[in-house]
Amino acid sequence: MRAFLLRRLVHAVFVVWGVVTVVFFLVRLTGDPAALLVDATATREEVERARQALGLDRPLLVQYAEFLRAAPLGDFGVSLRERRPAMGMVLEHFWPATAQLALAALVLAVVLPIPLGVIAATHRNGALDHASRLGSLFLQSMPSFWLGLMLILLFAVALGGLLPAFGSGTLSHLILPALTLAAAPLAQNVRLIRAGMLEVLQEDYVRTARAKGLAERGVVYRHALRNAAGPFLTVSGLSLGFMLSGTIVIETVFSWPGMGRLIVQAVPGRDFPVIQAAVFLFAILFVAVNLVVDVLQGLLDPRARVFGDGA
Amino acid sequence: MTALHRPVLWLALAILGLPLAAGAAPPTSVDGVPIDPEAELVVALTDDTTNLDPRIGMGSIRSNYIRQIFESLVDVDRQGRPVPGLALSWKPVNDLTWEFVLRRGVTFHDGEPFNADTVLFNLDRMFRKNLDKWGIKDVAAGTAFDKVYPFVTRWEKVDDYTVRVHTSEPSATLWDFLGREPLVPRAWTIKHGVEALNDKPVGTGPWKLVAWKRKDHMAFERNDGYWGGPTLAKRLRLQVIPEAAARIAALRAGQVHLVEAVPPLDAEVLGKTSTIRVASSVQKLACRIYLNGRTKDAYESGGKDGAFADPRVRMALNLAVNREAIIAKIFHGLALANASPVATVAYGYAAQPPYPYDPARAKALLAEAGVSAAQPLTLQLLLPAKHYGQAFDETVGAVVEMLKAVGVQVTVQTLDFGTLLQTLTKGTLPPNGGFAACRTSNNLDADDFVRDWATTTLVNWTPYPPELLALYQSTRRQVDAKKRLAALAELQQRVRDWAPVVSLYQEKKAYAHSARVLQFVPTQELNMDFRGVALRR
Repeated sequence: MRAFLLRRLVHAVFVVWGVVTVVFFLVRLTGDPAALLVDATATREEVERARQALGLDRPLLVQYAEFLRAAPLGDFGVSLRERRPAMGMVLEHFWPATAQLALAALVLAVVLPIPLGVIAATHRNGALDHASRLGSLFLQSMPSFWLGLMLILLFAVALGGLLPAFGSGTLSHLILPALTLAAAPLAQNVRLIRAGMLEVLQEDYVRTARAKGLAERGVVYRHALRNAAGPFLTVSGLSLGFMLSGTIVIETVFSWPGMGRLIVQAVPGRDFPVIQAAVFLFAILFVAVNLVVDVLQGLLDPRARVFGDGA
Repeated sequence: MTALHRPVLWLALAILGLPLAAGAAPPTSVDGVPIDPEAELVVALTDDTTNLDPRIGMGSIRSNYIRQIFESLVDVDRQGRPVPGLALSWKPVNDLTWEFVLRRGVTFHDGEPFNADTVLFNLDRMFRKNLDKWGIKDVAAGTAFDKVYPFVTRWEKVDDYTVRVHTSEPSATLWDFLGREPLVPRAWTIKHGVEALNDKPVGTGPWKLVAWKRKDHMAFERNDGYWGGPTLAKRLRLQVIPEAAARIAALRAGQVHLVEAVPPLDAEVLGKTSTIRVASSVQKLACRIYLNGRTKDAYESGGKDGAFADPRVRMALNLAVNREAIIAKIFHGLALANASPVATVAYGYAAQPPYPYDPARAKALLAEAGVSAAQPLTLQLLLPAKHYGQAFDETVGAVVEMLKAVGVQVTVQTLDFGTLLQTLTKGTLPPNGGFAACRTSNNLDADDFVRDWATTTLVNWTPYPPELLALYQSTRRQVDAKKRLAALAELQQRVRDWAPVVSLYQEKKAYAHSARVLQFVPTQELNMDFRGVALRR
């Protein structure tokens, strides 16, 4: 286990380095931010002066060397638009706003599908199964942007301000954006659990368990679900990536002051330091969560163990 | 009283009309309607500012925040006319000197007095002089005053409340381009550094910044010591809600009182709602198609004539556009056609005959200019989609079809705004290139608009021919207001006929507010003014 974790940590360092390096050069391929920092009626000299002030007139490799020296220390430079430390800005928007939203949505998308998927599978072709499948299809096919607006109109306008239409800070502010963000992965997970359970429930060991007189609840949740959960767990880990990128749309609709909107504005504004800091953080989170998923999978199903027996 | 000195008259009238009762208790009613002077006014805006230092730029988003905190020498009344701000008056004392007499008894929110030293310090920052002396850093400024106005040579303090600015040539608009720049405190900035101006600065304005949660909201409190009298609400919250539908939902839910940038169709619907009021104002935002009309001997032409160097071609394109249909169908009336290069709400604007929609004449002009089936006119149009809003994108789409209808072969290249600016900065617009863009102004005077074709700015792809350049320069140097207005009118008429761009529309901005909001008048400037706005009790 320890060797596995060490190996994965070394992998993680290379993955994160690779990602930020690719992003470093890619964002610079998109063009020069200097012209965006002056008026459209500015002269060429004014644009050139802005470029010099930002250090963008230096050779690219010099800029990259400087980046590699400072980035491991968390120093991604100063935002070109806000003139503040880029990583500080990213963290300020990540915690608590984006972290709260992504975690709340992740919990909804991971916890709710378990009973829903199991009920649908154990009541195959019954009313509950049909309702679950129809609901999942509905949630998956609905654009989150539109769903968010409909929820605002329903809960904030039609129901007399039952929930706030925008903003953050309280649990009531969190409900609508978290529901909207969770909708599509939740529906997907319900379908995954249902499909996995239907397959596993046909297995011999399930029949054996029933024949031995185990309670149906124990058969379903202890034996069948544990084996059906593999793909669900993998997809849930990957869902975090969706959650983090999905917040971009949700944050715009609900005026949620998280990282999504920061990135949305940093990309067209060519705010290189902010883009790099955000990608760095995303890469670390994504690698960490998938590492946790790998470990969990091994704990649930010894066949999926990637860290070896007795480790 | 000459037209140039009309601002001075307005100043006097405004002084008489303004309640100069700093520290006075706010009124509890407006026109007999009881108001809540302790209320919080919540306003939904489309975006947050990225910084608060006026030197970094005064674009439309920044201005809304910056001008609540900071003030300039010249203020603007609700009709868009210049009135006294931090200066009580301004006048040319000779051809090469302007004098500003400052308002007394004004303090910044931290108690620092406003006086001539404040103005000199700000002029030093604007023109990048004496920065070492003050121990402050330079910033990448939106407007480099030393480059744009190199004829401003020096400034001096006559006494604690009088400042003179000297120029090397007569400058008719100095009161405008210097007077509209928001002023920051001297001692506070030296003590805390220019970076602090982007965090929690102090100004002389009607609202004190209390909290700023980035990308979320900015909270202000009434400046009880404001020289212009107390504001009618105790607190102001500028709430960021980027999505228009969400802004309107928040208004309908009663969670905000006022929203900006209401889409035209929504404005029509909201106007029929009994609890909501809709207001609109003409803005300076002029949207156009810029065309490559640089001749091969002009700067950055790549040695080739621009395909649109011939004024007949550009005029033909103007005649091919049905603006009335665009304004009716896309903007539902919330835009106007303006054939002058100057915004209708700028000082010095002279109305020009509209470009008629005349496809037949457009085709004839193109033929006259040598365009034929064998030698067709092509236009590679760069479109910064989603930058200026949906109505702009729809307008450009409609105009492309109109241009095709008169035989112009148009290809549209969609790109992000940054890439467009980069193309313009590098000067790599193709000879048959053009781009769709809007421009606005932070100044009051027409000069900012007619300057577009005089210098090597990013938007200047059809430089003035020598006779127009000479006329433009005369408008800048003519200090006699009457003569200057006449020259400006002539310049506008000749630019209209010379048609450097395809004029599309000038924006009217729509706002919606709850019926509780009293006395909200949208300004024609880039910022909203909440000084007289009250909430019904």
